[in-house]
Amino acid sequence: MKFFALLAGMILLSFIIQEFLPVFDWAYGSRLMLVHAVFLAAAVAVPFPAMLGLALVTGLLWDARYHVPIYPDEAAFGMLTQSEIPFGFTILLFGLTGALIQGVRPLFRRGRWELPVFMIGLCTGLSLLIEYLVISFQRGGLEISVELWWKLLMTALFSSLISPFLLLLLSRVADRMRYRIRTEGLKRRHTYDGDAL
Amino acid sequence: MSRFNIIFLLTFIGLLIWITLFQPSAVGRIQTGAMVFLRPFIKASNELDGSINALGSESLSPAQLREKLSAVGQDRDRLKLEVIQLDELLAENNQLRQALQYREKSPLALVATRVISRKPSHWYNTVVIDKGSSAGVVVDSPVIIPMGDEAGLVGKISEVIGPDSAVVLLLTDEMCLVSAKLQNSQEQGILNGQRGAISTLPNLKLRYLSKEAVAIPGQKVISSGTGELFPANLILGEVVSLSLGIIDAEAVVKPSVNFDDLVDVFVILPADRAKDQPAAAPPARFAPPSPSEPTAPPAPPVP
Repeated sequence: MKFFALLAGMILLSFIIQEFLPVFDWAYGSRLMLVHAVFLAAAVAVPFPAMLGLALVTGLLWDARYHVPIYPDEAAFGMLTQSEIPFGFTILLFGLTGALIQGVRPLFRRGRWELPVFMIGLCTGLSLLIEYLVISFQRGGLEISVELWWKLLMTALFSSLISPFLLLLLSRVADRMRYRIRTEGLKRRHTYDGDAL
Repeated sequence: MSRFNIIFLLTFIGLLIWITLFQPSAVGRIQTGAMVFLRPFIKASNELDGSINALGSESLSPAQLREKLSAVGQDRDRLKLEVIQLDELLAENNQLRQALQYREKSPLALVATRVISRKPSHWYNTVVIDKGSSAGVVVDSPVIIPMGDEAGLVGKISEVIGPDSAVVLLLTDEMCLVSAKLQNSQEQGILNGQRGAISTLPNLKLRYLSKEAVAIPGQKVISSGTGELFPANLILGEVVSLSLGIIDAEAVVKPSVNFDDLVDVFVILPADRAKDQPAAAPPARFAPPSPSEPTAPPAPPVP
């Protein structure tokens, strides 16, 4: 329980640090999405229900701070009442990417971080791409440019670069708090890595 | 998947649907709460950003640095730095004086605000200002910046977050549509920015010009005032190029406002809020919206 409270605290702290992180104009307006990286790193370390809980809290906080209510043209005629990206949509994105990254939990537990690091970058980029596609769908025209791909790629890269430090921090904290990263699938097999689960 | 996980997943989906169905007023309250909590950090971040920029500008004076290093002693260096600081203060003083004069001259009810957060959103070109509902700022209020005797359009208010904050959707965003015209011409069109906030200063697009349109590079583009939102004659940018199509023409426009350097901006209050503001003096060079033209924008759709 202490570990989950600490993760929630880390996510809250990442929101504060995020305010101080600059936008890199040289990288097509990309930035380090620290909140996403911290959430995804935490999602590797916790069971599925806890990941959903963290997704709910993180997504809600993210939208509370960063949601911009831009209404599509149809809204002016009363046909639509939701903004382009509805409030709460980020919760769904965090839930989806969190569920995706849960697949690499066994690797994280074994200390193999290559794939988790890659996945943190990939999931950050993926959630941003989904947002962009939703915006494009609402505006009725898909504009895909080279700069857009660079923006997504650089953002994903920044997340990947910071993630080893986050994973190291999490694993150290988990050790200190005697929290064991368990995986249900492995629990059933009883054969994973020779460890008693 | 275990039954336990399925129960959590269903609860998660239920909560998600419930949150997405929140009324705009409830969303506003949540965002106000978040802004109250994060405001000190946003301001601190902005101040830090300013300090770093100031350091950068000082170190980017090679002539001064070379002079310092060449012969003069430490005392002389210190004095030079003081002079530089005084110059900066003088420049800032002049800028604020100019802004004050502009506000006094303008027939519009203006609220002076300061940018406290830049580019908070990943996909929208926005900034956050330090005035909100307590100053009478409402959604869709135009935001301008003095440029000499004239005014440049910065954008419009897309969201008022509580009494002391509001989000400005910049002119460089695709969703900030302005009815515009070429100066000294009858050609009118719709000006908008770029999708995705990929750069701070993207070129704007002036669309729906007539196919016979003539535009000279460097020709000014100003707001036409025919829409319901923006007053006429606000400076928007300069024509870079013009491409003629089969049924219409489109011009590429370079924005006049430097969106990287936004510090002090003005929000134009709607007519009904303007009564509370100090009486305005002689007209400025840009015309206010006509009385028949509703200054107050339509309220955002409420489900």
